[in-house]
Amino acid sequence: MMDDRFDDLLRDSAREYNDPPETPREELWQRIVAAREAERAASKEKTEDADGERSPILPFRRFGRVRPGRPLTWAAGIAAVLALGIGLGRMSVKQPASVAISAPVPSSSAPAPRATGVAYRVATTEHLSQSEAFLTLFRTSVRGKEGNERLASATARQLLATNRLLLDSPAAADARTRLLLQDLELVLAEIAQLSPQPKSRDLQLITEGLEQGGVLSRLRTAVPAGTSATQGAL
Amino acid sequence: MEERELISRVLAGDPSAERALYDAHVDRVFRLAYRMAGDMDRAQDYTQETFIRAFSRLQTFRGDASLSTWLGSIAISVTLNGLRKVRRQNEREVGLDDFTPVGPTRREAEPDLKTRLNQAIDDLPEGYRAVFVMHDVEGYTHEEIGASLGVHPGTSKAQLFRARARLREALADFAKD
Repeated sequence: MMDDRFDDLLRDSAREYNDPPETPREELWQRIVAAREAERAASKEKTEDADGERSPILPFRRFGRVRPGRPLTWAAGIAAVLALGIGLGRMSVKQPASVAISAPVPSSSAPAPRATGVAYRVATTEHLSQSEAFLTLFRTSVRGKEGNERLASATARQLLATNRLLLDSPAAADARTRLLLQDLELVLAEIAQLSPQPKSRDLQLITEGLEQGGVLSRLRTAVPAGTSATQGAL
Repeated sequence: MEERELISRVLAGDPSAERALYDAHVDRVFRLAYRMAGDMDRAQDYTQETFIRAFSRLQTFRGDASLSTWLGSIAISVTLNGLRKVRRQNEREVGLDDFTPVGPTRREAEPDLKTRLNQAIDDLPEGYRAVFVMHDVEGYTHEEIGASLGVHPGTSKAQLFRARARLREALADFAKD
């Protein structure tokens, strides 16, 4: 059978793949309304309880200052920290049988779950710190009409990839971190999709969205300014 | 009612506009979630999460793509993240060696094309499966897929090409007939 004919057959047959039943509209709507009400109530309660008090979701010591404006350095740093975190995670998930039966294993060869957790926290802090620096620069660039959007789009793509990896990792187990990463994902996706010559209105809408959604302020709360998480933490 | 007006009313806190927006888009979101998850409970969870996130982020919707595309990008992001979590749980429970991909389990003995095709689609890498399902099954354009997944339309086309090639390979014996 020719490829084209087979592709047609493929498409026809694929339409029945996981064929969805009728949408349970009412049931879903009730669930959405209930979940949003619960979220609003929880948020209101938290605001009243906190009464202005804010604590970082990722309490790390402040180390050297992040130097913005170096996307390639950022990407390399993010990749290195993520590789370390994911590597440690994989090692701790499943050990080879030989390790289990061998006599005393040096502690450095099999990281404890705590070490893995620290690695993910470090990777998350590093990522949030880079994102905060990037978004601050982006906003400044838009206000100053510097025309760096092409570079911004490329950097946003790199940060978006890291963001998705973190959302898929134990780093997102904490509800507040997950919510922040999810909101950050949308902002980064918007910047990543900018055309090389974006309209000023698009840029303005992104920066307005940044301010209205409070993403930057939440990033700053999560990672206090001046944090460079990898220094001294590893 | 025009989309922009509907959005303005939702942002102003009009509950009937929220419902109208939901009604206009829920089928498309649910269909995509169900196609990807192959499971009613998960599809409902992902649809619910998509609308909760959409309502909370609607003020950031820029309007250069359609609302439907914007919702699609949230839906596919929520769904893929959800499926990754399920996969991680499966890996922890059964161990990596026994891992089977997320998706409905198919136990039909009948080795017909549809059964084999469904299994082959389940076995595709995540990115290929998303593009294949969105384009060939649900009829999204490459521009919509690109906007939803945060990739160029050309990348979407390339992934679809590779997905089809993998399926052809998996179903090679049918292709010869």
